[in-house]
Amino acid sequence: MTYAIETEGLVKVYKQRWTKREMRAVDGISLKVEPGATFGLLGPNGAGKTTFVKMLLACAHPTAGRALVFGKDSWIPESRRSIGYLPENHRFPTYLTGAGMLDFYGALSGVDAATRKKRIPELLDMVGLDRWGTTRLGKYSKGMLQRVGLAQALIHEPKLLVLDEPSDGVDPVGRKQIRDILHGLEEKGVTIFLNSHLLQEVELFCRDVAIIRKGQVALEGRVKDLTSEGGYRVDLEHAPDNLATELKSRAKAVVSSNGNLQFLFSTREEANLALDTVRAANCEVESMTRASSTLEEVFIRTVEQK
Amino acid sequence: MATFALILDTIREAMARKVFWAFFFASSAILLFFMFIMHVDVVNGIVASMTIFQAQAHTRGELSAEKLVQGAQGGLSVFLYTIGMGLAIFASAGLISAVFEPGRVELVLSKPVGRTQVLLGRYVGNLLIVAANLAYLTLGVWIIFGVKVGVWRPHLLLASVLTLFMFSVMLAFILFISVLWESAAVSIIATFALIVICLVLGAKDGIEKLLSNEFSRDVVDALYYILPKVPDAGKMMTHVITGQPIENWMPVWSSALFGIVALGSGLWIFQKRNF
Repeated sequence: MTYAIETEGLVKVYKQRWTKREMRAVDGISLKVEPGATFGLLGPNGAGKTTFVKMLLACAHPTAGRALVFGKDSWIPESRRSIGYLPENHRFPTYLTGAGMLDFYGALSGVDAATRKKRIPELLDMVGLDRWGTTRLGKYSKGMLQRVGLAQALIHEPKLLVLDEPSDGVDPVGRKQIRDILHGLEEKGVTIFLNSHLLQEVELFCRDVAIIRKGQVALEGRVKDLTSEGGYRVDLEHAPDNLATELKSRAKAVVSSNGNLQFLFSTREEANLALDTVRAANCEVESMTRASSTLEEVFIRTVEQK
Repeated sequence: MATFALILDTIREAMARKVFWAFFFASSAILLFFMFIMHVDVVNGIVASMTIFQAQAHTRGELSAEKLVQGAQGGLSVFLYTIGMGLAIFASAGLISAVFEPGRVELVLSKPVGRTQVLLGRYVGNLLIVAANLAYLTLGVWIIFGVKVGVWRPHLLLASVLTLFMFSVMLAFILFISVLWESAAVSIIATFALIVICLVLGAKDGIEKLLSNEFSRDVVDALYYILPKVPDAGKMMTHVITGQPIENWMPVWSSALFGIVALGSGLWIFQKRNF
């Protein structure tokens, strides 16, 4: 199978120019992203996410290992023909208009003039900037720049979209708009690689995630699998003391709030056994739900591991 | 297509910078001066009268039209080789180092273009905009004098080619320093420092006489041959303007060699850089 992204033991060591001190930004990352996947790359600041992305895009040379994009070494310019990229702290030429910028990056991406002429109004319309095409980028707000940046990443209809904090500075309506665009691309089979700090955004959008810590992959998998490790939650209202004590001894966690008790059990069997105990004590169960961790909880647990 | 886009983008950015428009307006002012302020009457190849701001300009003895044009071309060539080139260096340094701005370089490098192409696109675009400015002024002056005085000396055009050549060498050095330091200020300082060193080395025979140590003399000699021959090229230009034959082309080819090495080194380092 040819993966959209495949890295093998990718290492990046930065050496300071004068002191020669070494800093291992990426420490042997091997990652596979299937074509058509929506993949989120997570990690705390300085974990090596941006360096990893830069090696994918040939902005930084790997110290060891290799990165392939659709089977081609990322260092070969041709491999980048299939990538659309929106950097985090982008700096688009402010002397260009929105349409001019799309034209320039479209030409760099190998799109011929006739196609650019047709695609540019379509893309501007798609990102809600159809009336801003002739305005210089210097007059755009941060959210508008982000949206026109997304348009430039799509000008050559890439098979892989690499987005670094795509909704940074975008208002909630704009975020929804970006998410809708990305969902549309996902349906067309475009692989989306999202590097974001917004865990909720990643959880909402991505199917797979990898959490990077200290330059290494600390956790990787499907979002639904990683967030379904919570167990089962049983809520009781006004439980007698002896029942509460009994259940507390069996539960892995208890939360008390306004006289209500919430017990967390590891397995379904344990939760059902607890229900039997509650019913035997003639008490009523308020609710029983399958508890799941949020991606944020998974993330914090992972990055705080020693 | 990508190379053309990179060149065009450099030209667009240059147009967006006021300094290049300042060149254009300064050149236009010079052309307007020669076109409307200076009036020359030529009779049988001799300047009969010349007025500037409607005041009679006095000439020493009989002045041929040929000599008048030669003098004007010489003055303009020296101006372009010194002040013009200095201003062009000042303007170009920012244009080259802009490539390395964080958030911009990553985006360009993420496209399916080679790094050499990216940097050469900037270099050529920058050179073209300076060439266009130079051509506008020199062709304009050449045509004005041709029409007004009836003397069509091509020497000014040849001299401007020499100026553009020397600028291309300096631009290669700017590119090299910019790749190393990513700073317009550092590349401007380094380039002007290089020019000063080259000017000093222009008097190498005199310097060598002052040096007692053989090694020091060899160092001066080596530096002279390695670095661009800014004063020698200036002398060549006066030969071109006065129509004297050029016997020694060493200043040109050795300067070209320096430029090629600087450009090649800049491109090579750029290939190795992480952004």
